[in-house]
Amino acid sequence: MSSTLFIALPLLFGFTTTLLAKIGKNTVAYISTAMQVFLFVLAISLLVDTKPYIEIISIAPPLGISFVLNKMSLLFVVLFTFLMMLFSFYYLSYRKINAYKNETKFFILINMLLASAIGLVLSSDIFNVYVFFEIAGISAYILSAYKKTSSALEAGLKYLLTGAIASIFLVFAIVLIYLNIGSLNLAVISMNFETLPYNIKVLISILLLVGFGFKIEVFPLNFWVSDIYEGSTALVDTLFSAIVVKAYLFVFFHILYLFLPSGEFSVFLIYLGAFSMLIAEIVALKQTNLKRIFAYSSLGQVGLLITAFAMQNSDVVEGALFIVIAHSIAKSIIFLAFNNIYQEYKSFDITVLKKLNAPFLKVVMLIAMLSLLGIPLFAGFIGKFLILKAIAVDGMFSIVAIILIASLLEAIYYFKLMGFMFIKNETRDVLKVDIVHKVIFAILALLLLFIGIFPFSISNFLLDCANIFLDSSSFINMLVKN
Amino acid sequence: MFEFLNQSEVIKTIVIVGSMSLFFVGLFGLLTKKHLIKIFISIAIMETSVFLLFIGLSFNKSLLAPILTNGQNSFTDMNDPIPQAMILTAIVIGMAVLALGISFAIEYFKLTGKTNIDEMTSLRY
Repeated sequence: MSSTLFIALPLLFGFTTTLLAKIGKNTVAYISTAMQVFLFVLAISLLVDTKPYIEIISIAPPLGISFVLNKMSLLFVVLFTFLMMLFSFYYLSYRKINAYKNETKFFILINMLLASAIGLVLSSDIFNVYVFFEIAGISAYILSAYKKTSSALEAGLKYLLTGAIASIFLVFAIVLIYLNIGSLNLAVISMNFETLPYNIKVLISILLLVGFGFKIEVFPLNFWVSDIYEGSTALVDTLFSAIVVKAYLFVFFHILYLFLPSGEFSVFLIYLGAFSMLIAEIVALKQTNLKRIFAYSSLGQVGLLITAFAMQNSDVVEGALFIVIAHSIAKSIIFLAFNNIYQEYKSFDITVLKKLNAPFLKVVMLIAMLSLLGIPLFAGFIGKFLILKAIAVDGMFSIVAIILIASLLEAIYYFKLMGFMFIKNETRDVLKVDIVHKVIFAILALLLLFIGIFPFSISNFLLDCANIFLDSSSFINMLVKN
Repeated sequence: MFEFLNQSEVIKTIVIVGSMSLFFVGLFGLLTKKHLIKIFISIAIMETSVFLLFIGLSFNKSLLAPILTNGQNSFTDMNDPIPQAMILTAIVIGMAVLALGISFAIEYFKLTGKTNIDEMTSLRY
C-alpha cells in the first residue's frame, strides 16, 4: 500500500488545495509540509525492511500498471522526500518575507513534482514512465516561468520546447516497442528486447537516448540547461538540480539495465558522459553568473554520473550513488544559500561573493563546494574515489584521465569562488539568516560531513542498492511472478 | 480499380510512408522556422505523425471494435484496445503541453513584443 501513497498523497493534495485554500490563509502551506513530513517518515520506516524487494503492486496485465519498491528505489524516495521536506520548511519561513504570488499554485506544483519524481522511480511500466515524465516536465516548466518576468518566461519557453521534443522521441520509442513486443510492462519488454532484429534495437535505443537525453542533460542535448537555471529563481533551481535530474537519471539507467543487460552500447555512453563532464567544466570556467556556474557544475556532475552508471559494475554504481546523495545535498545548500543572498544583494553576479558578509552562509557553502569538488572528509570524495578506482581496475585509463582533467578544471573555478568568499570585507552589515534556515543549512552540511567521515555507515546499504539495480533478472522474476 | 488499395500490406505501407513524411515535415518546420507559434505547430505535426503511425499499424480491419455488446461475451476477434487508450492519453498530454507553451508565448509577447526565438537572448552569456 505504502508505495501508492507516495504518489497518490501529493496528487490528492493537488486536487484538494482549492478547498483547503478557503479554510484559511496558511492551511495549504502547513498541510503540504505536514504531508511531506509524513511521507518522509513513511519512507524512513520502510528502511528497516531487509528484504531486497519490499513491495510490488501490479494490476492484471491488460491495464499493466505496476509499481516496484525495492531497496534502490526506496533510497531515491527517501532522498526526494527528505530534500522536498527541508525545501518546504525553508519556504515556510521564507514566505513570511517574500511569498510567491498565488501561493496555492506553487504548492500544487511542488507536490506534483514530488509525486512525478517518485512515480518515475517506482513505476515499472513504460507508458506510466511516459506519463510521469510529462507530469514532471509540465510542473517544472511552470515552476521555471513562475515569476513571469521576461527572463523567467524565456527560460520556461526553452524548457518547454526541449521537453516537448524529448517527449515526441520517447513516444516514438514506446510505439516501436509496443508494435514489436506487444507489451508495455518493463519486465516483459526486457525479456524480449534482446531477441529483436538489430536495426529495430538500434533505432529504439537511439530514440530512447534522444528522448531521455534532453532530460538527463547529456552533452549535445544540454545546451538549454544553463539558460533554465539562470532564468528561474534560485529556490526552484534547488528542485531541478536535487530532484528532477536525479529522477530522470534513475529511470533512464533502470530502462538501460533492463533492456540491454549485456551492456551493448554502453561504451558509447561512457565516453559521452565523460565528454559532457569535460565540456561542461571548460565552459563553466568563463562564466560570471553564479547560477550559470553551478548549472554547468551540475552538468559536469551529471556527466560523471552517466559515465559511472554506464559502466554497469556494482562498485562504480555504488560510487555513483554516493555522488547522487552528495550532489543533491550540496546543490540544495548552494542554491538555497543563493536565494538568501539574492534577498539582500539583488544580484547573482560573481562579484557578489566579494561583498558578501555572512559567516554562517560562507561556511556551509564552503562545505558544499568542497564536497562537490571531492576533497577527502567530504561526501563527494568517497563517490569520486570509488568511481575512479573501479574504472582504473577495468583498465579504461582514458576515461580516468578525462575525469581527472575535468576535476582539475572544476577545482580552478571552485577555488576562485572560495577565494572571492574569503576576501576580508566588513563594509556591509552581517547578512541576517533566519534561524529555521540556519537549522536547515546545518542539517544538510552536517550530513555531508557525516557521510564523508563515516562512509562505511551507509556503504553496505548502497552496495546492496547497486546490486539490486544491476540485477535485471531478479527484477523480471519478481514482476512476472506477480 | 482501386481494389488493390484494400490489401492490408498496401494500407500499412501507406500508413508508414504517410506518417513518416508527416514526421519529417514537422521536423523540417522545427529546424527552420523561427516564429514561436510555428514551432509549436511543427511540434504538434510531429506528435500527430507518431500517433497516426501507431493507430494505423495496430488497427486490423477484419477485427471488431473492442467493446462488449449484446451478443459478445469474450474479447476474441477484437482489436487491441491498448494502442487507442495509450494514444488518447498521449493526445491529452500533448494538448496540455501545447496549450501551456502557447500561453507562455503569449505572455512573453505581451512583455517583450518578441515572437522570434533568435531574439530570445536575455539569457546568454
